[in-house]
Amino acid sequence: MEDEVVVEAKQLLVRYGDFTAVDHISFAVRRGEIYGFLGANGAGKTTTIRVLCGLLPPTSGDVRVAGIGYRQDEAPLKAVARPPWGMRISAGGYERVERTIKTKVGYMSQKFTLYNDLTVGENLDFIASLHKMAPAVYRRRRQELLEFISFKKNLGDMVGELSGGIKQQVSLAAAMLHDPEIVFLDEPTAGVTPAGRLRFWKLIRRLAENGKTVFVTTHYMDEAEQCGRIALMRDGRLIAEDSPAGLKKLIFPEPVFEFDPIKPLSFSELKSFETHEAFSFFQPYGHRFHAAAANAEVWARRAPDLRTIFSIRPIAPSLEDVFIRAIEGRR
Amino acid sequence: MIDPTLRGFIKKEFIQALRDRRMRFILLMMPLVQMTIFGVAISTEVKNIRLAAFFNAKDNVLRDVYERAIMGGWFIPAKAAGRIAQHPFELIRANKADAVLVAPPKGFTHELGRKTAPLQLLIDATNVVQAESVEAYLKAILADTVASDLKVAASPPPPIRFDVRVLFNPSLDTATFMVPGVMVMIMVITTFLLVVMGVVREKEQGTFEMLIAAPVSRTELIFGKTLPYVVIGMADLPLMLPVSVLAFHVPLRGSFLYLFFATLVFVSTIVAAGLLTSTFCANQQQASMGSFLFMFPAIMFAGIIFPIENMPPSVQVFAAIDPLSHYLILLRDIMLKGSTIGLLDRHVLALVGIAAFSITASFARFRTTLR
Repeated sequence: MEDEVVVEAKQLLVRYGDFTAVDHISFAVRRGEIYGFLGANGAGKTTTIRVLCGLLPPTSGDVRVAGIGYRQDEAPLKAVARPPWGMRISAGGYERVERTIKTKVGYMSQKFTLYNDLTVGENLDFIASLHKMAPAVYRRRRQELLEFISFKKNLGDMVGELSGGIKQQVSLAAAMLHDPEIVFLDEPTAGVTPAGRLRFWKLIRRLAENGKTVFVTTHYMDEAEQCGRIALMRDGRLIAEDSPAGLKKLIFPEPVFEFDPIKPLSFSELKSFETHEAFSFFQPYGHRFHAAAANAEVWARRAPDLRTIFSIRPIAPSLEDVFIRAIEGRR
Repeated sequence: MIDPTLRGFIKKEFIQALRDRRMRFILLMMPLVQMTIFGVAISTEVKNIRLAAFFNAKDNVLRDVYERAIMGGWFIPAKAAGRIAQHPFELIRANKADAVLVAPPKGFTHELGRKTAPLQLLIDATNVVQAESVEAYLKAILADTVASDLKVAASPPPPIRFDVRVLFNPSLDTATFMVPGVMVMIMVITTFLLVVMGVVREKEQGTFEMLIAAPVSRTELIFGKTLPYVVIGMADLPLMLPVSVLAFHVPLRGSFLYLFFATLVFVSTIVAAGLLTSTFCANQQQASMGSFLFMFPAIMFAGIIFPIENMPPSVQVFAAIDPLSHYLILLRDIMLKGSTIGLLDRHVLALVGIAAFSITASFARFRTTLR
């Protein structure tokens, strides 16, 4: 049961015209996992999530979500794929599949998608009606979820007047209302205060403990550290996938050091270190620096000089270093 | 038992439409206010026309014509002094008079004794509609006066007499004719805008993403977003009908049931057209533009201001596909003539046809997926 794969994509391809948003990616997520998606803006994270939630038909590939699978073959005649008037003749097959998937997954968009001009209660009522929930089931679920997010406000409060953190928590409750087994969270903590982010991640961990599968994208590295596994996306491709610790080893096979300047560095000195032969990676980290040794021989030769400028200690690279090297491709 | 999703939509749309104070005002007060203002303003009836007449003291018939014109209520005496007052043409050029009657040199009464009696009438035609009305009014008054004055003089009556009976609007009251047009206009403006904005706002604010992330079918989504607006649009009828009947004395000769039925078909058609328009718009600016592009020609070709019969046949095609023109005919027929309409009435069928086209096209265009 624990190892059961609940989300799986094989050779998933999404094209918008000539632009390839998601380029033949494959991955599998097991029940109860917190699976993180990391990547720059436009790397294809949101597109992937939308495909998995049934919001977007893929161009081709196999998708299996919560036991419902389908295969999309690339349209053989690309030229007539867009009939006159921009009509989309969506295959009836996809619509059926996509609606079944939607009953089993929860989705929280990176945009805030509740109605600001409705109260919390009215928003939840409406979402329950979209899912055709029986009134008794709905009331019980609502009670559970409001306790789960420790909602202290009134159900009669207008959503538009809530703070950013509370809004996101209510959004999470809304996405979980129909008790989905998998929940997709697209940048759920964007624009939330640090305290709010901590609270939100506590909820995410509790969801996973209760057997829910959480699929999450984030730009915060401290949040990414809390994922069971992380997939790194770059230009629509999945370039690495592992646990945070595994990812660090994978991206930084060479030893990594923290450099603490003994006295302040001038700008030109700094520039010279960025291209220094001893380093395969050199990036500022706060007012210190993280650097990876290019190779043992050069390192041994140049280290004594460097020790006169920096106090150096070996460290494990941070996820930020991983992100900078893997996603942004900097040395 | 109504579908719970649909019920949820109706409840939500009503709350959203009626919660905002400004929105409530637009929905409930605007029809009343606009009815009153448009009803008065759009009237083509011409009153207070400044009339001057040049005749000598013995010209009894022309004096009668002038006095009758002033007494009739449409005309008021033109006021001018000095040199201008002596020249008929100058009076009009100086904008002191709208119409001037000029008697022949020997007097109109004198000329009437002969076979043809010339009489000059100068009309300021910078406003064509007014000029035509003035001409018609004065001709009528002239004919009346001459007839009654000549009876006294025992002369033969004019060879042709029209026996005109004005039906359904005997006093030729323009309000009776124009107010149904105003009702159509207001109904289309409020309903159409509400639908287009209602759909586009979901797209713009991102809530559309939540709607389609839920397992709702395209049918539920489309009817959920449109049915509430049919109900809201129908509310205009009980708001505007009392104003037109009580304030403008437009008769309601037909059955309210027919009126309700015709309005329901019309409002549904407008909602369908609004839905189709919304599928072309991604944000509220585009929605306003799209609404304008629909409403402006729709009002122009409806026959509210310009009679369809006067349009060239090639343009009448547009009137035929304009839902407003069909509803306007139904409305005037039911209210003024007391006509009964059947399910298979030509204009009802036309509306149903337009609605069916819009709905079908909307279904084809409406996305339940994201780009």
